[in-house]
Amino acid sequence: MSIMDQNGGSVIAMVGKDCVAIASDLRLGNQALGVSSNFQKIFPVTDRIYLGLPGLATDVTTLKERFRFRVNMYTIKEEREIEPETFAHLVSSTLYEHRFGPYFCEPVMAGLSKTPSGGYKPFIAATDLIGCLNFAKDFVVAGTASEKLFGVAEGLWEPDLEPEDLFETISQTLMNAVDRDAYSGWGCVVHVLTKDKVITRTLKGRMD
Amino acid sequence: MQHVAVPHAQPQQRQFNPYSENGGTILAIAGANFSVIAGDTRQSEGYSIQTRYAPKVFRLTDKAVLATNGFAADGNMFVKKVRQRLEWYRHAHAKDMPLRAIARLIQTMLYARRFFPYYVYNILGGIEEDGSGAVYSFDPVGSYEREACRAAGAASSLVQPFLDNQIYFKNQTPAPGTTHPAHLPLSHVLSLVIDSFTSATERHIEVGDGLEIYVVLAKGSALQGLDAIQGLSELTTTDDGERMFVIRRNLKRD
Repeated sequence: MSIMDQNGGSVIAMVGKDCVAIASDLRLGNQALGVSSNFQKIFPVTDRIYLGLPGLATDVTTLKERFRFRVNMYTIKEEREIEPETFAHLVSSTLYEHRFGPYFCEPVMAGLSKTPSGGYKPFIAATDLIGCLNFAKDFVVAGTASEKLFGVAEGLWEPDLEPEDLFETISQTLMNAVDRDAYSGWGCVVHVLTKDKVITRTLKGRMD
Repeated sequence: MQHVAVPHAQPQQRQFNPYSENGGTILAIAGANFSVIAGDTRQSEGYSIQTRYAPKVFRLTDKAVLATNGFAADGNMFVKKVRQRLEWYRHAHAKDMPLRAIARLIQTMLYARRFFPYYVYNILGGIEEDGSGAVYSFDPVGSYEREACRAAGAASSLVQPFLDNQIYFKNQTPAPGTTHPAHLPLSHVLSLVIDSFTSATERHIEVGDGLEIYVVLAKGSALQGLDAIQGLSELTTTDDGERMFVIRRNLKRD
């Protein structure tokens, strides 16, 4: 079995109309044995960037701290908050530094980037474990349920969803995908980012 | 003195692998009085496409359709053998074998090869003797179950959770005082089948080229808007029994 599947877990991010959503399951396991049903894999980076880290749990924790450090250094040097596009490249280069002994995580990012006119533009991205970036226009997935997530998302997602509809779409996609994956599940958490607020909801779903 | 090199006998190993995997996906959904059985028509081996039109869905009787997926050679041989057994049944009993009997026959035929299996996932669809739509799904050694819907093959992991959500209404709560329907109307089912295959084609390299959807209607049931569907042709042989149709569509070829 792959080291990427040791602890299980999945993350998905989707674009909506002037909003983005990112969601994950809450399981932490050791192979088939469930260990925790409250293992957070999504972390706020700034008020407008969220980062999901599915993969090997020890690297999830390490990378979360490493990105916190690097984003803090950036904020101090630049005297401004990091933009999602910049952060995506920070993630990419951090992972590529370990090209031949990688962290076993596949980060997923969701954020709202500032436009020159003062508005906000939805942004999502994902990378593989060595930092190859994927800027998708619709949705990105990662984790042990990624195949299932691709299938359901491809069927349910549509362009320009309003925040509440996007919440429903990403929640249904995630829950139905993880219910067919033995390594993911045990509850979900969903974040919807809009220009003036972040909606965070914890979902129960099937707890088996 | 001449030295003759004595060749040392090197250990040799030979291997023959009788199986291969030919990609593609199949799917079946049962309605109240109809059954829909579908499959894409791409046949591949590794990254190469062998043909863009190799049917995986086969008419067995006036009311039974079998879809096979996995190793195409085994699938074709298995269908040939099932058809032969159904013909013998007709000669012996002067009628077509009922669907639930075909299902049990398929189980025994698959289990007979328990130690050299047909490398095939089978889905049997059709109309039961009571007139209800039915779907039976099998594993390669004959374990089977009657269900309302099932996807199998290369993109089954993409399609099945989508069907859980849209057919079984999993993770959806009905509005207070209402319940989810046990069976969906035919037009709705056909839309879901087409959406499933377009999604699978988009994200899976082994799915695409063509789509064949077989529809079996129970005795005396209305067309339910089927006549408005593009690419429809009728396969019915008798005018007082079940009606059978096939819908042929294109899928993306990349």
